Amino acid sequence: MKVELLSHILSDQIRSALGELELPDVELLPHLSFTFAVEEVSRSCSHQLIRHRLASYSQQSQRFIAVRRLKEHTVVPETVADNAPQLFDAFIEAASETYQGLLERGVPREDARFVLPNATETSLLVTMDGRALLHFFGLRCCNRAQWEIRELADAMLVHVRAAEPGLYRGAGPYCYQLGRCLEGRFSCGKMQDVKEKYDHLA
Amino acid sequence: MKLELVAHNTGVEALVATAMLTTTSSSRPSSIYHSLSKDPERVDRLLGRLEVQHGSILGHNRLCWIAEASEGEVLGILLKNRFFSFTRLDDSRWLLSSNLRTAIRYAQENKDQFGRSLLESICDVVPTIVRDIRVRLL
Repeated sequence: MKVELLSHILSDQIRSALGELELPDVELLPHLSFTFAVEEVSRSCSHQLIRHRLASYSQQSQRFIAVRRLKEHTVVPETVADNAPQLFDAFIEAASETYQGLLERGVPREDARFVLPNATETSLLVTMDGRALLHFFGLRCCNRAQWEIRELADAMLVHVRAAEPGLYRGAGPYCYQLGRCLEGRFSCGKMQDVKEKYDHLA
Repeated sequence: MKLELVAHNTGVEALVATAMLTTTSSSRPSSIYHSLSKDPERVDRLLGRLEVQHGSILGHNRLCWIAEASEGEVLGILLKNRFFSFTRLDDSRWLLSSNLRTAIRYAQENKDQFGRSLLESICDVVPTIVRDIRVRLL
């Protein structure tokens, strides 16, 4: 996984235009914007990401881009690598052969891609406004989020804290932002560990 | 209504061109962006192929203005396009923002003073795109 913050609006640009008038952070957030290059994540991860609808996405299209050397371009979960690497590799090999076979028989890429697994790597451009991004961190930095999108959210948060340390110092999962967990009976019960992690995430 | 553009992303046209190529190229978006940022002529060529009805590629940015407007004017704009964000600054001034997709959509659909002011205010930030839009609107 690779994440880079390509472009953003700095809050100082807006604050300097406002002169002596001071806006609370919460009113400033929707006017900010952060554009990331998100690379080498699985299609499974990008599928979760695009559920955040207040954002803009431009993703590599499997209609236009053929998947070459699938085995070298898959994301392998740790649980799979630990417990069943051969089973996983055999499936990827079979999917790759089937995909190439379909292409060689004249099946267009847009149809051949139906056999590609969720583990297939993808890259995309992601843009969120400052408020949508804070909500994204609240949900996806949470211990209950799936590991890959949590890693992605953490990586994005590191970039955002570097760009806007004042505004996003308190950003993280909702328990970190609010001081209480919103997950009810599903709570991980590790708020102190989470606080420690996000106090030092940089 | 008076509009003053006060902030925007850096490299908006390069970002639009990056979004165009990201969907169809096996290169990574970060490589595409860094390469295009050094090659404005290639960005111009790519934007010449832009189909503005494919609006999603225009969404990777934000433009912020200070607007002088009455409450009625602000309500009128929001009723026409709910994707603008307004924050009240005082009785007659507002912090207003949207992405390029929203601004262009408004200007295309509404031939009013606000639409013309939007395009005028961003013509230095996205010169190629505004030039193309103006030709289409003629």
